[in-house]
Amino acid sequence: MRINWNELQEKSFYQATARERANGIVDDGTFKEFLGPRDKMVSPHLIILGEAVEYDDGMTAGVGKIGKHPVFVISQEGKFVGGALGEVNGAKMSYTLKLAIDCYDAMKEKYGKVPDDRKPIVVVSYDSGGVRLHEANAGLVAHSECMECMWKLQNKVPNISIIGSSLGAYGAQGFVCLSADVVLANDYGRIGLTGPDVIQQEVGKDEFDASDRALIWRTMGARSKYILGDVNFLLKDSIKEFRDKIVAMSDLPMSEISKYRHLGSEELVEENLNVVKIAGREKINDSKDLWKYYGNENVDELPELPQEEFLKVVKRRPRGL
Amino acid sequence: MAVKMYLGKADEAVDIIFDKGTFVENKISNRTLDPDLAPPVFIGEAMLDGKICTVMGNNSKRPSPHFRIVYNGIVGMEEAYKFSQGVYATIDEDEKKPKEEKRPIILLIDAPGNSPGKVEEIVGMTKATASYQFAIEDARSAGHPVIGMIIGRAVSGAFLCHGLLSDRILSLPKEYGTIVHVMPTTSISVITKIPLERLNELVKTNPVFASGAEFVYKLGTINEMVEKPEDIRKALLRNISEVRELRMQGKEDQLGIWHRGVLGAERGGRTKRMEAINKMQKEFNEMLPSLLE
Repeated sequence: MRINWNELQEKSFYQATARERANGIVDDGTFKEFLGPRDKMVSPHLIILGEAVEYDDGMTAGVGKIGKHPVFVISQEGKFVGGALGEVNGAKMSYTLKLAIDCYDAMKEKYGKVPDDRKPIVVVSYDSGGVRLHEANAGLVAHSECMECMWKLQNKVPNISIIGSSLGAYGAQGFVCLSADVVLANDYGRIGLTGPDVIQQEVGKDEFDASDRALIWRTMGARSKYILGDVNFLLKDSIKEFRDKIVAMSDLPMSEISKYRHLGSEELVEENLNVVKIAGREKINDSKDLWKYYGNENVDELPELPQEEFLKVVKRRPRGL
Repeated sequence: MAVKMYLGKADEAVDIIFDKGTFVENKISNRTLDPDLAPPVFIGEAMLDGKICTVMGNNSKRPSPHFRIVYNGIVGMEEAYKFSQGVYATIDEDEKKPKEEKRPIILLIDAPGNSPGKVEEIVGMTKATASYQFAIEDARSAGHPVIGMIIGRAVSGAFLCHGLLSDRILSLPKEYGTIVHVMPTTSISVITKIPLERLNELVKTNPVFASGAEFVYKLGTINEMVEKPEDIRKALLRNISEVRELRMQGKEDQLGIWHRGVLGAERGGRTKRMEAINKMQKEFNEMLPSLLE
């Protein structure tokens, strides 16, 4: 498939396929895939169950370049079995992360110190519901492998989550994506652990009405996550917007990038626990209550405002304790 | 003969595993954890054959006073952060000890899931569970042997944070009430629309969607089955010393989650994973020189 990179830049991130997102994030023509469709590495478990398979198992993974930076890209395809992780695409994801660490080590050996303008970068484009239930036991451990790699990448390789496809980052992918250094999202981005349907099914409609779209967006959507701090930058919906932000951060020293982190230290445990305690104390039952707590008066308007207006008026949770 | 089960009674399992009467809750050497935070979990220190350990588990009998869907052993946000505090207290208290003396962290596993509530989605069950997973990795890298012992439910998201990243995972068999899965085969049948009878037939040869410790063992997820509760103590002692030994020899690749993939291939439960990563390694090796240019 020939991809016109320039056309791709203007394309809606939300509407782009996993392969388009991967190609468009890195420099024109530089993306090379691991286990591409030609390798035909399909899920053996879906075959046993008589389900349809894809030659890339619903994931595009590989390396491209941004300037001199090798950029390891993992891009999930939500249109195939909910973008969920099984044995093969799970291995693709975790091992691509591992190879980014190996690349860092090789670069350190070659240059003595990894130069800021050459350091490897990880970008994961999320579009997944988490564990693929058809091969649930394998999908679960694949997530743990990813988490170990996410942990190892800290303070070495900039690790950027980009979220803005139809499914967002749900289930176990929800916490994998927040284990990165920086989280970028458009207004379609969603992050969560338990999906609306599952909450309704497990706990009841009085806890969560899964048919209430507005409730879903203000609970799991990017704007709420931006107010509360999980999303670092809220972007317009084009591949170029995401790419430009990544390019702008690419030469920053690692210590600057680590400042955006959401978790991974004793200090951040206390910072995050403090928000949980506030939620318990204030009996938070709607994200609007928490937006208000952090100084927003116009909570009914916030989800509706044009993005530029929203960014101008919104008040965010201050970072730190 | 009825067997004693520990599902829902992880707190009682402490007494049969560790030296009698040595468990002190909310104490890690000189550090005291907030006793009012997260009653659904118990964290503290206990002696195992005279040596100090950090012990962490879920107390199914104590619901959360603040979050209504945290009960019966469910791991909520405060619980995951308190587990993290327990791990960091352990790391801090042993900071000056040489690697071979870092105390083990024993995770007694009996948890049915993460809290599927609305407030958890608003505030972030995501970050809570991930924080705990990173804490476990911090402990392992500091030299602490981390052993997960399944005595009840090891289910989905709860297993991901409380157990799966351990150096070693041991489990009692299903005769003792253990439940190890992402979801029951009955639910998988509903979602995949594959008749339950057919699924139950298929799991005999493919453990990847099966429920139960014996199947998960074949995937490498569980390192070792422990036949009965009376054997847990001995198995823990042996595994702690093996983990220490491997860690001292720098054989990290024979510990933890990545080694579970190796075991999964050896036991025939997860062979495609190995095939995939071998191919990727080859592709990467060919690319590497150009990536370093």
